[in-house]
Amino acid sequence: MMKKEAKISLPVYKLVYAFCFTVVLSLIRGVVFTYEVGIAMEAPMAVLALVFCADTYTQEITSGRSEVLRLCPMRKRLCSVLERMGIQEGVLFLLSAAGYGFFCLFQAPMPFYKAGEGGETEGKLFLTFLGAVAVTLLFWGMLSNLLSCLFRNMWAGIGCGIVLWLVTNSSFGKQVLGSWNLFSYTFRDVTDSGDLTWVQGKILCLALCIIMAALMPKLIRKRG
Amino acid sequence: MSIKIKDLTVTFKNKVTAIDHADLEIPGGIYGLLGENGAGKTTLMRVLTTVLTPAEGTVVIDGVLYSEENYPKIQKKIGYLPQEIDLYPGLTLQECLEYMGDLAGVPRDQCRERIRYYLEKTSLTEHRKKKMRQLSGGMKRRAGLVQALLNEPEFLIVDEPTTGLDPEERIRIRNLLVDFSENRTVLFSTHVVEDLAAVCSQLAVMKKGRFLYAGSMKELVRKAKGHVWICRAEDEIEARQIERRYHISSKQLSEDGVQIRVISEQRPDADCMPAEPTLEDAYIYVSGRDA
Repeated sequence: MMKKEAKISLPVYKLVYAFCFTVVLSLIRGVVFTYEVGIAMEAPMAVLALVFCADTYTQEITSGRSEVLRLCPMRKRLCSVLERMGIQEGVLFLLSAAGYGFFCLFQAPMPFYKAGEGGETEGKLFLTFLGAVAVTLLFWGMLSNLLSCLFRNMWAGIGCGIVLWLVTNSSFGKQVLGSWNLFSYTFRDVTDSGDLTWVQGKILCLALCIIMAALMPKLIRKRG
Repeated sequence: MSIKIKDLTVTFKNKVTAIDHADLEIPGGIYGLLGENGAGKTTLMRVLTTVLTPAEGTVVIDGVLYSEENYPKIQKKIGYLPQEIDLYPGLTLQECLEYMGDLAGVPRDQCRERIRYYLEKTSLTEHRKKKMRQLSGGMKRRAGLVQALLNEPEFLIVDEPTTGLDPEERIRIRNLLVDFSENRTVLFSTHVVEDLAAVCSQLAVMKKGRFLYAGSMKELVRKAKGHVWICRAEDEIEARQIERRYHISSKQLSEDGVQIRVISEQRPDADCMPAEPTLEDAYIYVSGRDA
């Protein structure tokens, strides 16, 4: 079942554009210090997640299969959507990790702190990025799927997601939401590695993911 | 199994009434649903498959009323082939059917056995390793039918199942449906009269959201008796004149002019003789009488 879900949710064209997006991003977005890599990647990867996950369920609607799936047990249908989300999020996470490597490979950024001067180590920086981007990808992927199901149209889902992305990933969003911003990792104080208030933004993302997961069955039942 | 539809009305958000206070009883066996495009056939089937909720009226299947709380119970009984369905293009035929069967809750071994049986019946066995996108339109249609049969539904709803099939395939599909309909109910919707004439004895004719006729095929044909005429026209110009004045069910060119089957309450004002009605004639007679 998992293999079939992977074939359904990961057609070659999606893998190709996601890979190209990551490579191009690592080539054109300039970074000087290693701490900037995560900042350079978080918001663009959120856009990629928005586009990548938008057709998780809407492909069933556009193909006419949803009318047949309506006859299938709800539990099976939900498991299928969850598996697809898991597979797609996994691929995006691996791409993010690879993208971090591409930045280091193509631009050779410098560490902000010299060895022995304190601050975050390179390994810790990378692990922090992985944790933050995992939550970011999960949130934007789920949001995109949820909005697309709501409108029964993936483009409407992507469009609404982009509006939220623009609002939160802006000076306005930074000022208003502060450490509760959905992109709190990007807006964190990089000079103070001990300041972990940005985690609040990621906790908010996770809380919203739980709400979206709870809404999904109702939405599929009503709009699917 | 029987399905009882009472005073059913379906109105869309744009205020269009697709089904207008319709009553129908669908008995066991194959039941035909005839009607022109836009008659409301697909809407009726979407109600029966629980995709649409009616604005008014009731539907009862085997004593179970169509309502939100009964939907899971009802859905288990139904198999559905929609008019348009694009099955997973990236999966092979075998994978696609296994996937659909799994979603429908059919145990894996049983599902594989049924897939093998129905692929054989629909002459698709040799194509089972092909990707869905590589199959022809007719093959995709047959694959769609197989997915509808996988959970061995008590009530099978098929919307234009023979579209895109060649004559030989059509016969095979009709035979498959006849075999399947034993102890079950099959609702066969089409506008191809020939398909229904070959498989069912009971049918309903729909037009503009209403049932113009529901009953036996023999009775429908009998209704048209005395109203079917074969007219001869010397050339196309004369044939066109007849076409403008009467409902026609067929037109055929022959060596001595054009032969036209005319449906008319009275003897047409042309060179003609009475003819035995066919199901197609009867369908046009019933549809035309309403217009």
